[in-house]
Amino acid sequence: MINIAVFGYNRLSFEAVSRLDTEIYHIVVVDHDPAKVALALENGFESASIDFRSDDDLKLVGIGSNIDTLFCFFEEDSDNVFLTLSARALDKNLNIIAVVDSPESAEKLLAAGANKIIDPYEICGRKIHDILKWPDITNIFDHTVFGRHDLHLAEVVVPEHSYLEGSHISQLQLGSHYNLILIGIVNKKVSDELHFVVEEFDRRLSVGDILVILGPSREIRTFKKNVENEFCKI
Amino acid sequence: MLSKLIVYCAYYLKSADWYRNSKLFFYDLMENGHSRKKKYFDATMICLLVLSVIFLIYDIEHEDSKMGGYFELAILTVFIIEYLLRGWIHYDTYKVIIEEYEKALYLNLEFKLTVVFRKIMTRELEYISSPFAIIDILAILPSYRPLAILRIFIIFRLFKLFRYSDSAKLFADALANKRFELVTLLIFTCFLVFIASVSIYMFEYQATGSGIKNLFDAFYWTIVTLATVGYGDITPHTIGGRWVTIFLILASLGVLSFFTSILIAAFSEKMLSLRESRVYAELERWDNFIIICGFGRVGQEIATLLEGERQKFVVIDRIPERIAIAKKRGYLAIENDGSNNEVLINAGICKGATAILCITGDDVINVYITLTSRRLNKNLRIISRANRHDNVSKLYQAGADNVIRPFEIAGLLAAEFVGQPVAFEAISGILHNQSDIVMESVLVSEKSPLDNQQIGQLDLQQRKLTLLGVISDNPIHLKHKNKYQVKQQHFYFNPESKFILRHGDLLVLLGRKYGIDHFRDQVERRRLFGRKSV
Repeated sequence: MINIAVFGYNRLSFEAVSRLDTEIYHIVVVDHDPAKVALALENGFESASIDFRSDDDLKLVGIGSNIDTLFCFFEEDSDNVFLTLSARALDKNLNIIAVVDSPESAEKLLAAGANKIIDPYEICGRKIHDILKWPDITNIFDHTVFGRHDLHLAEVVVPEHSYLEGSHISQLQLGSHYNLILIGIVNKKVSDELHFVVEEFDRRLSVGDILVILGPSREIRTFKKNVENEFCKI
Repeated sequence: MLSKLIVYCAYYLKSADWYRNSKLFFYDLMENGHSRKKKYFDATMICLLVLSVIFLIYDIEHEDSKMGGYFELAILTVFIIEYLLRGWIHYDTYKVIIEEYEKALYLNLEFKLTVVFRKIMTRELEYISSPFAIIDILAILPSYRPLAILRIFIIFRLFKLFRYSDSAKLFADALANKRFELVTLLIFTCFLVFIASVSIYMFEYQATGSGIKNLFDAFYWTIVTLATVGYGDITPHTIGGRWVTIFLILASLGVLSFFTSILIAAFSEKMLSLRESRVYAELERWDNFIIICGFGRVGQEIATLLEGERQKFVVIDRIPERIAIAKKRGYLAIENDGSNNEVLINAGICKGATAILCITGDDVINVYITLTSRRLNKNLRIISRANRHDNVSKLYQAGADNVIRPFEIAGLLAAEFVGQPVAFEAISGILHNQSDIVMESVLVSEKSPLDNQQIGQLDLQQRKLTLLGVISDNPIHLKHKNKYQVKQQHFYFNPESKFILRHGDLLVLLGRKYGIDHFRDQVERRRLFGRKSV
């Protein structure tokens, strides 16, 4: 179970939270405005009303102990920067995702220790641009990967003692064995950079590599299960 | 009998194509501001005018030169023909006749030629008394030799420039807009000139050595002083005269500054609309451009992306600060309300615009612009932004092709990122062209070598391309599994190597940009040369 604390209850956080699978994620919505906390409770989310300016209150929610991911979704950039800074001080390994309103604040948030910045306006602008430029592809992706249809992107880490270890990419044949498409591989030992399969020479997989795959969730599940099996035949 | 003939002629003209066409031709030539012909016509007329004035100056020194005479005659003929043609296209005479005739028929009255004649004359007078027609006649009359005294008026021909040049028209318009202020100032100035002239005349007339011998001298002195020119050829000699001078100089400072301020205000007001009309003129020459309504954060982001691709677009926003940003970046921008029909039409929504983006921060305005645009142009692509979930259906109802919800997309991306940061970065990198790898579609066109080919034969791996799927609305593919319905089409994910492509299908490929381009070029070339295999 991954614990997520969502600070600030508004349209954006509502959208984000309702897309997370509650079986995998334990979510707690936090806001300093009691009215918003009441609204979150009404919508069926576990909520807490605390003052984010106080470190003790943050610890109370679980930052520095059991919280793995923090969403800073306040409407004011200054609030988000403050929260990011406080949370980073409490927990070095916390995954912090912050929303940014004005583009200048992005740098400040990164400096404060955020892992990922989300700029809704920029994303929206890009989206509209994509729809204009590649209507077919954007449409398909909206309906499949990002939409209702069961087509997903997934990451599979090559575990120890897996049959994948030491095998070549060309041997995988995910397309015919699993109905999955292998998009790329991240060699964690070298860098976080993704190497696209179309680009790569046929290389051998090693433990810790991350495979980025695209396909229906059932196939992804089967593949993930088989990956852990040492003796699975290719 | 005569009236019958006239009515017959009127009906004939109404149905005659040659008549309508020739009238349209001359309208385009002389009056239609959007026509190219008018530009050439105006330029020719300006040249003629300037030449005629040059000849006038030449004539002063070389009287009765033959060449000048012929040229003058030629110019005069052109001017007279122009004057008559303008009178002709001013309105349709036959319409008046037919209207009167049908009215008489309906009311069972007698059809009287005199009534028709009177109506036609009224219309005719309307044209003759219009300011431009008067200027035209002033340009023609002085050439009539017996009226030699009028020759000076040939210089008035230059007023005809107002007809042919937009900037001259603009100058006149700017002044016309400030008519009230100018008239007030004129009355005050006349009053001042009158008082000053009479007073200086009273004080100075009998003074010894004074230059003022009559009322005209007094008037001349007043104007020279009022305009702050002060030649000094006439100076006051009496105490009274000097007091009048002091009073006049102080008053004239006020008059001049008032006059200057009126002019500046008039031009700065006009400048705005001038700039707007420049934008419209520029748009008129474009096709395939996009209209962006709303230049907030989202609009600015899109504009940056479109600019990078050299895609043409125009920005419409009501807020001056945002328009200033757009202009600073060198974009074409209109400071106006995008929900206004006229603004959208002028911006070219029916003529050359391929898409409109309704992306203001206010859903009410977005719905309104969407509705207006759809009503004006049925085939336009409309992409709208919904800030609240409840308004999505309203925007679709108003005629939007796509509706975008910024917070939904951002929320979705945040959720995706939590689960799979690597995959998320990969896919957003591809979708947003941040990596070298892109995702693009390749169309299987008719007679393309791809048509009726199995996917296994395409040898995509060799080309370093990954096939994600095929988009198609062809029912022949429905037997395949892994299909996802998207609107009227299906997306066939990871198709088998046996999958046979049909024309109209779209291949969704992942690979380097030039790899995909090369593949597309190759297919296209083979198609043109009619070869089958790729």
